[in-house]
Amino acid sequence: MIVVALGTGFGLSWYALNDGRLFGAIEIGPWQSWRDVGVPGPDPYTRAYIARSGALELGASEGLQFVATYDSDNRRLDRNCRYRIDGSTPPARFWTLVPVAESGSPISRPGGPLDFQSARLSRAPDGSVELYVSKTLAPQNWLEITGDGTFNLVLTLYDTSSLSGGGANVTTLPSIIREACA
Amino acid sequence: MIRTGLWILGGLVLGGIIHIVVILMLPALSATAAWDRVSAMSTPGSTQVLPAVTADQPNPLRLDPELAYAVCRLDLGKGPGTVAGTLPQSFWSVAVYGRNGTVIYSTTNRDSTSNLLDLGLFNAAQTRLLAEQKLDVAEGLLIVEAQQDELLVVVRLAPPHPAMRARYEKALSALRCGNIAT
Repeated sequence: MIVVALGTGFGLSWYALNDGRLFGAIEIGPWQSWRDVGVPGPDPYTRAYIARSGALELGASEGLQFVATYDSDNRRLDRNCRYRIDGSTPPARFWTLVPVAESGSPISRPGGPLDFQSARLSRAPDGSVELYVSKTLAPQNWLEITGDGTFNLVLTLYDTSSLSGGGANVTTLPSIIREACA
Repeated sequence: MIRTGLWILGGLVLGGIIHIVVILMLPALSATAAWDRVSAMSTPGSTQVLPAVTADQPNPLRLDPELAYAVCRLDLGKGPGTVAGTLPQSFWSVAVYGRNGTVIYSTTNRDSTSNLLDLGLFNAAQTRLLAEQKLDVAEGLLIVEAQQDELLVVVRLAPPHPAMRARYEKALSALRCGNIAT
C-alpha cells in the first residue's frame, strides 16, 4: 500500500508538473503552454509549476510562451537532425523562436544569431515563412545550432490575444518537421 | 483477492492525498527561486539591467535573448513605489511580480500614446489613502494595487535589431525606480 501510495502521489505530481496536459497546460500541435502562468491568481498546479521552474514568466497581457520538446510526429527533438518549422503563427506584435538546451540556454552557434525574430525573416510572397534549425547548412531562414543530444524550441508571442478569442487550434501554430538526421 | 484490492485502493487514495499535499506545498518550499536569483543581482530601489543571454551560458530565468530586461525591487512598506521614464519607440512591456513569482499586473505599450512609462504601485492601505485623496500623486500615473509589500518590477524592451541593444539597454538603465515621497 505504501509503495502504491508513494508511487501515485509523487508520480502524479511529477507528471502534472512536467507534462501537465491534464492539469492546466494546453497543447496545440507539438507546442505546449501553461495558459494561466501570467494571471494574478493562478490555480494550484500552475502555481506549483511556477515555483518549480523558477523562471520570470510572461504576464498574461505581455504575451504567451509555447515550448516544443517533440516534433510533429512525436519524436524527441534531436540536435543531430534538421528541422523545418513551417506554417503560420497567431496574430501577435512579433514573436521569437529560440532553440534551447534543457537548462534554458540557447544552443545556437556562439557569435551567431541566437534566435528567429518574426520581423527579420525572409518570407514568401504570401507572407508565410519556412524556418530551418540544424547543424548543417539549410536554405531560407537558417539557425545554426551546436552540440549533441536533445533540445527544446521556445516560441514566444508578444502582445497577442490568440487564446482569448477561442480561435486556437492546431493550424494556428507552425508544425515542426524532421527532415534528415546525421 | 478483495483484501488486495482494498489495499491498492487505500494506496491510491493515500497517493492522491500525497499528490495534493506536494502540489500545495511546493510553492511554499521553493517559490522564491526567481525572486532570489533577481535579488542577488539587484539592490532595492534601483534599476538593474540584466545581462544579455548568450549561447552556452546558463539561463535559469528563461529570458528571451531577443529582449533587454530591466528589474527593480521595491518595498511598499517604505511608501508607494514608482517606476518611471522614457523608453524608445519599440515594443516594451511591464510585469509586476510578487515574492512567489506570480504576476500581479502586466501591460504593454500597445495602448499607450507616448513612450512614457509612469507606474505607481500601492499596497492596500496606500490605495485607501489614494481613494480618500490623502496621497498626492502626479496626474497620469498608472496605478497598480498590490496585496503585498515586496514587489519586483520587470520591464521588457525589444530592440528591433541586436546591433541596437546597447542603446536600448542604456534607456532601460535610465528608468527611475524607488519609493514616492509622501
